[in-house]
Amino acid sequence: MLQRIAIIEDDPAIGANYADALTAHGYAVQLYPDRAKAMAGLEAQLPDLVLLDIGLGGDPDAGFALCRDLRGRSATLPIIFLTARDSEFDMVSGLRLGADDYVTKSVSLPHLLARIAALFRRAGVGSTAETGEDTLNRGALTIDLKRFTVRWNGRGVDLTLTEFWLVHALARHPGHVKNREQLMAEAHIVVDDSTITSHIKRMRRKFIAVDAAFDRIDTVYGMGYRWKAET
Amino acid sequence: MESGNLKRPALGLRAKLVLVALLLLVMPWAGYSYIKATEQLLREQQERQLTGAARAIAAALHDRPRLATLREDSPDGEAARAEVRSLITGIARTGLRIWIIDNRLRLIAVAGDISGGGPPASGETTFGIVERGVRAALRPLLARWLDAPTLPAEEFIPDDVVFGGPEVERALDGATGLKRRPGPGGSAPIVSVTYPVWIGETIAAVTIVEESTAAAVSFRHRAIERLIAVTLIAFTVAALVLLVFASRISTRLRRLRDEAEQAIDSRGHVRALVTAEHAGDEIGDLSRSFSLALARIADYNAYLEGLARRLAHELRTPIAVVRSSLDNLRLKTLPEDAAVYLERAEGGLQRLDSALTRMAEASRLEQAVRGTERERFDAAAVVAGCVAGYATAYPKSLFATQLPPRAVMISGAPDLYAQMLDKLAANAVDFAEAGSVIEIGLKLQNTSAVLTVTNRGPRLPEQLRLFESMQSVRAAPAQDIHLGLGLYIVRLIAEFHHGRAGAENLTDGSGVRFSVVIPTLIVD
Repeated sequence: MLQRIAIIEDDPAIGANYADALTAHGYAVQLYPDRAKAMAGLEAQLPDLVLLDIGLGGDPDAGFALCRDLRGRSATLPIIFLTARDSEFDMVSGLRLGADDYVTKSVSLPHLLARIAALFRRAGVGSTAETGEDTLNRGALTIDLKRFTVRWNGRGVDLTLTEFWLVHALARHPGHVKNREQLMAEAHIVVDDSTITSHIKRMRRKFIAVDAAFDRIDTVYGMGYRWKAET
Repeated sequence: MESGNLKRPALGLRAKLVLVALLLLVMPWAGYSYIKATEQLLREQQERQLTGAARAIAAALHDRPRLATLREDSPDGEAARAEVRSLITGIARTGLRIWIIDNRLRLIAVAGDISGGGPPASGETTFGIVERGVRAALRPLLARWLDAPTLPAEEFIPDDVVFGGPEVERALDGATGLKRRPGPGGSAPIVSVTYPVWIGETIAAVTIVEESTAAAVSFRHRAIERLIAVTLIAFTVAALVLLVFASRISTRLRRLRDEAEQAIDSRGHVRALVTAEHAGDEIGDLSRSFSLALARIADYNAYLEGLARRLAHELRTPIAVVRSSLDNLRLKTLPEDAAVYLERAEGGLQRLDSALTRMAEASRLEQAVRGTERERFDAAAVVAGCVAGYATAYPKSLFATQLPPRAVMISGAPDLYAQMLDKLAANAVDFAEAGSVIEIGLKLQNTSAVLTVTNRGPRLPEQLRLFESMQSVRAAPAQDIHLGLGLYIVRLIAEFHHGRAGAENLTDGSGVRFSVVIPTLIVD
């Protein structure tokens, strides 16, 4: 059965391009130009994944409202914000509303496809209990590369896809310092340095929420970040 | 902000208005001329009166032919003399003395007393009790200048009065004589009028009428005293009123000036608007138009700052269209040679995109910096960590570090502080001469942590506005898109830490030093 993706995008050219590309990669795509049409179209059945623009038509925040509605209907529906807005404020707002990822429109189609595939895997495999072989173990940290999930001391840490890739990039070689450019490349994002800093901060907070004594993500001033090796 | 380079006005508004009040000093001058004129009038009046009196006496004596026989050896002499004496005693009064001498200058009779009859005390005032007080205070001072008239207390008859003198000679010649002589003991002058007494065809005697001018002099003195007191009071009151008025105006103007000066910082940002006054006068008007003008500038600045962000945002959508179209194109089967153009389009798009990202970076950074949480951290540790990293980040450059022996605690964000040093270091590396050492220093100065980054290399141009976005002034190696955001970030972060960033050429001209001064926490 084809996985269904809903694209809610007010610019017809972009919408059509994404729809074409996703169709070519074997997804079933529905395209909605605004909030009302999307609500009507998604009324009967939720898709498997939603690509959502923030500004729709005349309403600059329609995407946020739509995200809240969809999240209200399903806690597990993967939602990716795909928007021209790249301010940190918008990004944080989007992620707080329960989006799984936030990418700017400068992302290339292959990157977008990779993210979509990753989210599907996470959503699809998440229901099955068995852990795959594709795991990375670093002491208390377990990274599941199939499900795109991270566990710390056996407890799940609720990371967005971007954060997942950042943790993965850091933990792959504990003790090695990764600078911001390297982190951006590994997380397939193009953001400025301060956004990386705030991503790192948010990741730390999520780990600390699971374990108050967490201190593995280390800032190396002047260079970047590293995952502290086991002592 | 330094305002020291603004020249202070040489003469303040207040001083000018007080100078204007000096015009009031015309008042005593006018008053003094008036007093002089009045005194002259009084004097003439006195002379006329005396002349009249002398004439009257002479006429009275003229009617008494017995006087013609007035001889000392004459038996009637004594009787005549008594008659004359009784006559002049009737006319003489206190302050007025009358002499009768015969044509051989012998005294026939004298009556009256020149002393006494002082000027009546004047209680008249313009400013009541205040004036009286001022006058009482002034009197000792004025007494020194105007020797107060004392009436001749003792009888003093100079010989020349009785026995000749030009005015008596004139009287004996048949004319009216007038003389002023100094009063005894330097007191008010005494004026005397001589008048001939005709008996038949001959001048039988001379009437001399004398009076002290004490009244006139005293009048003058009192008038001057009063004039000075009134002037002084009026001047003081006027000066005070003007001073208060001028102070108000000058305070308002100064506040307006300060606000206007503070309103726009050296980077052209409108910090705060001038508080528009409600006053309906010209200064209120000025402050309102200042306020309005600044508001317009602020609007325009905000528009300009937002423009880059909005432009980036607006352009991002068409870029996304192009990019996704190119990506889709890749999925199609294309002729062999099309791939080259696809790559070129992709490259151009990449450049356009990164330029856009940087355009909006400044405002995004501002937002990010503003939203950062503060914590206590040791700046020395951050600097040490950063410098350790630079050795690997810039293998071709040499770094020398000077750090204080103990922790330098700052309230802020260590990440930002490190980012700031990164930018300064990157800037120094960009401009350092090959093989030269980049010095990074941190030191405690009073309650400030001073971070300096010094490199040898090209000097900074004069009139620099380095710490602004989109400013890159030195001839930079153009290997990268260089929009000069680095130093803008330094400024943003320095300001986030309540500090300031500065740059200067080394005194020997061999290089440039950037410094960031940030207040430290008081370590207890």
